[in-house]
Amino acid sequence: MSSRADRIFRALVRVFPFDFRADHGRDMEQTLRAQHREARREGVRTLIGLWLEILRDVVTTAPREHVAILRQDFAYALRALRRAPVFAVSAVLTLALGMSAMTGMIAIVNAIMFRPLAVEHPEQLMSISNRAVSNRTVPYMVSFRDLQDYRAETTVLADAIGYTLRVASFKVDDGADRVAIEMVTDNYFSMLGMQPAAGRLIQPNEGRAKGDAPVVVLASWYWRSRFGSDPSIIGKPVRVNGRPFTIIGVTSPTFRGTESLVRVAAYVPAWMHETFVDAPSAQSLFEDRAARMFTVLGRLKPGISLAQARAALDVRAATLAREFPSTNTDVSLRIAPEAQTRPNPQLGEFLRIASAAFVGLAAVVLLITSANVTNLLMARAASRSREVAVRAALGARRGRIMRQFVTESVTIGLLGGLVAIPIVVFALRCLHEFIAGVTAAAALDPDFSVDVRVTVVALATAIVAGILAGLAPAMAVCRSDLGRTLNSGGRSGMNDSGGRLRGMLVVMQVALSLTLLVSGGLFVRSLDHARHIDLGFQPDGMFLASASPGLQGYDSAQRLAFYRSVRDRMAALADVDDAAWISLPPLGIMFQIAQVSPQMRPRDPGWRPPIAFEADVSPEYFATARMRLVRGRGFNTRDDATSTPVVVVNETLASQFWPDQDPIGRLLATDGTTLEVVGVMRDGKYQNVGESPRAAIFRPLAQAVPATATLVTRTSRPGQDLASTVRDIIRDVDPDVGVYDVRPMSTHLDNGNAFFPFRLGAFMTSLFGGMGVLLASIGLYGMIAYHVGQRTQEFGVRMALGASSADIIRDVLARGGRFALIGVAVGIVLAFGLAQLLRGLLLGVRPFDPVTYGAVASLLVAICLIASFIPARRATGLDPLTALRAE
Amino acid sequence: MPPRTPPVDHFLPLTPPMLHTLVALADGDKHGYAILKEIARRTENAVRLSAGTLYALIRRAEGDGLIVETDDRPDISLDDERRRYYRLTPLGRRVAAAEIDRLESIVEMARAKKLVPRPRSN
Repeated sequence: MSSRADRIFRALVRVFPFDFRADHGRDMEQTLRAQHREARREGVRTLIGLWLEILRDVVTTAPREHVAILRQDFAYALRALRRAPVFAVSAVLTLALGMSAMTGMIAIVNAIMFRPLAVEHPEQLMSISNRAVSNRTVPYMVSFRDLQDYRAETTVLADAIGYTLRVASFKVDDGADRVAIEMVTDNYFSMLGMQPAAGRLIQPNEGRAKGDAPVVVLASWYWRSRFGSDPSIIGKPVRVNGRPFTIIGVTSPTFRGTESLVRVAAYVPAWMHETFVDAPSAQSLFEDRAARMFTVLGRLKPGISLAQARAALDVRAATLAREFPSTNTDVSLRIAPEAQTRPNPQLGEFLRIASAAFVGLAAVVLLITSANVTNLLMARAASRSREVAVRAALGARRGRIMRQFVTESVTIGLLGGLVAIPIVVFALRCLHEFIAGVTAAAALDPDFSVDVRVTVVALATAIVAGILAGLAPAMAVCRSDLGRTLNSGGRSGMNDSGGRLRGMLVVMQVALSLTLLVSGGLFVRSLDHARHIDLGFQPDGMFLASASPGLQGYDSAQRLAFYRSVRDRMAALADVDDAAWISLPPLGIMFQIAQVSPQMRPRDPGWRPPIAFEADVSPEYFATARMRLVRGRGFNTRDDATSTPVVVVNETLASQFWPDQDPIGRLLATDGTTLEVVGVMRDGKYQNVGESPRAAIFRPLAQAVPATATLVTRTSRPGQDLASTVRDIIRDVDPDVGVYDVRPMSTHLDNGNAFFPFRLGAFMTSLFGGMGVLLASIGLYGMIAYHVGQRTQEFGVRMALGASSADIIRDVLARGGRFALIGVAVGIVLAFGLAQLLRGLLLGVRPFDPVTYGAVASLLVAICLIASFIPARRATGLDPLTALRAE
Repeated sequence: MPPRTPPVDHFLPLTPPMLHTLVALADGDKHGYAILKEIARRTENAVRLSAGTLYALIRRAEGDGLIVETDDRPDISLDDERRRYYRLTPLGRRVAAAEIDRLESIVEMARAKKLVPRPRSN
């Protein structure tokens, strides 16, 4: 019994700081033992009282003692840093560089993967989506009927909501806004547990009955920015896409919607779909299981695990597949926590891999910066060994001295983090502006704000980086022979392990920079490859501008008249070769798809109708884009609403549907319409440049009049800015129709799916790699300079004995070159590993691309030699006599 | 160069546990446990310090120069375990006296205002 108490007492004493323990630990244990003995004699009640009292005492006293010592150490560290301002500033700035890279990436990853939705119990929300099967036959979104069936799984789901995003024009009294509007199932707000800030939210079955008054709920931010939070707006009429709606309420200010990338301005009941958009298929939306339009979130019942929900819903999906084979055979479900499916279930997985890779790269930068600070600290520790020896002689314990060294480097880390914050906030604002500017069509607004979670992680990173940087120098100082240091008059008593460590750090820095630069090189090569891929059209000299006559409530005839008039006036301009309209230009971040099947389905029972890329184009489009027709004809003005619906297909679709046959005159079905094939177009790239050949169909604009389209102009003078001309012409034709995303095709490709991923990758890795190389060369320079300094006397003797400058320089360069070569060798191995991870993000370049590796390795060796040459040069510039006297 | 001794006022007011500790050392060197027992005995268990609090106090008092550790052992027979002994420094003595003066003047003031009765002199 007493021995157990002894053990507990010993453990309790261990809670106190090291110094406290060293001074009073044994006494305290003895005192506790004595008190314990006495209390036991007095009885159980006293004993229990004593134990409670001891516990309370330790819990309150120990933390206070820790804080007191920490305060002392920090004050000492700050004083020490103030006394060495050059060192302090360079160390803090260096670490700030790495911290900015890391914190920035963490803020982005937080926005993408970790920040919970601002709703009730966000952790219970699961995304329910269709798994995109290999032959792209089913989109990830879910049909209304399927959603209703999943909702019925009440053993695992408390409820499930569906929503789908639309761009709409929103008009109150004056001027129309182009905004993102979410069409939501009627249980949307109740399942998310949201309360209105004003008015009311959408109610069950709202808008289901024919003749229900169309209603709209405003997002809080839109209410504030557009209506100045005016409460009298409730009940007011507005025009959404030219149709009358009534504002019934405003969401609470904390609610940011369920879209992670897009800023939603208002919510409309999905039941009002027909009122909202004039799609001919609106009626079937709530009946047809092939009409997959909803993003779905389910709320797990309390106590139900993800696996249980998966099992139950999988069974339900299998049942549906048996009952409705024509639509549901290919449906298999992907159930995942909501945060893992941003910005949508399809992209979520890719984005997670990409963000993990970029966080890894940022961590590498942070490691390099930490190594640099370690190097600075080593140099400083060498010059401070006398101070340390004196303090040790005066009775300071080694543990305490070490603790102080580490506190100093942690202070540097925290200061670095502090400096990094404004840099990160600025960089994220730039990134946000860039993303928001990619297209005006989608109201992109990712939330990159630095919240508590980011701050905590950044703080922890700062502390860890500080400890990492400071631990080795602290240990080196404490291991060094302090007595000898004192006797030798303060010249470093640090043994050779310090020098070895600095050498290893330089090798590591060179290796890691090489890794970063190789990744950068691979992205640059991918980008280069992407730019030379045959897109199926000729992008140089193309200019784009988008307009949405459909959002003004215009009917098909009015839209067509608008499109024609703008096109004709544009084409008549002197500098313009041709002009045409397309529903959505290829390779943008938004695209149009259609499920297509030939009239005669192939006999293979496993055959599924593919999802094809679709574009609706005016007759001049193929010529304007310089696309090559391989068979049949393109469109002409006779292909209109009154004539036979026709379609031009690409080679891939033709060979899939009618292998070895002439496709001209064949029929194919899409969205309930039968189309006659009149032409075959050469294959191109439609959604991204890395895609393998996929099916595509083109329909005449006059037969599928889209609400929104993009004017494509080809000019004889590439690079000419047509922006103001396009705006003027469209304003002339119809001042009510807004123009947006006015840009050359090259910008569209750069910022869209075509080149953006590679540009981003190349930019980030080159930026990080550049930082890494700069730091590594500074590190190498510092080490060689220190080394030369130590050998000044030796060099003096050698030169006095007749050695030439070249001998000395060769000697020093050989040392620098050796570290560079080892670093390069290690780096190539690391880079190869990293490149394997990046494989999925690259295009047309192998992970082991000899050109990239060779170029980067030579560059690094050259930089290292220059960094060594400068101190070598200085060493030979010395007068031998001065060098000898340096001692 | 040793730091200049700060004026006595600098330490005032003392916390009650600190004052008790200094008073406990006024009549001779003691180790931690003895200080603890002495305080409990003199206050009839009204003030009981716990080990952690006590050694934190000792640490502070030592750092402020109010007490010092001493190598003298008053009576080995009373002490079966090796412990650290503490002695009141002249500064500690002055600080304790000043604190008691301060408390006395407060008590005097309270009596003048008849907040508490004067003790009957006998």
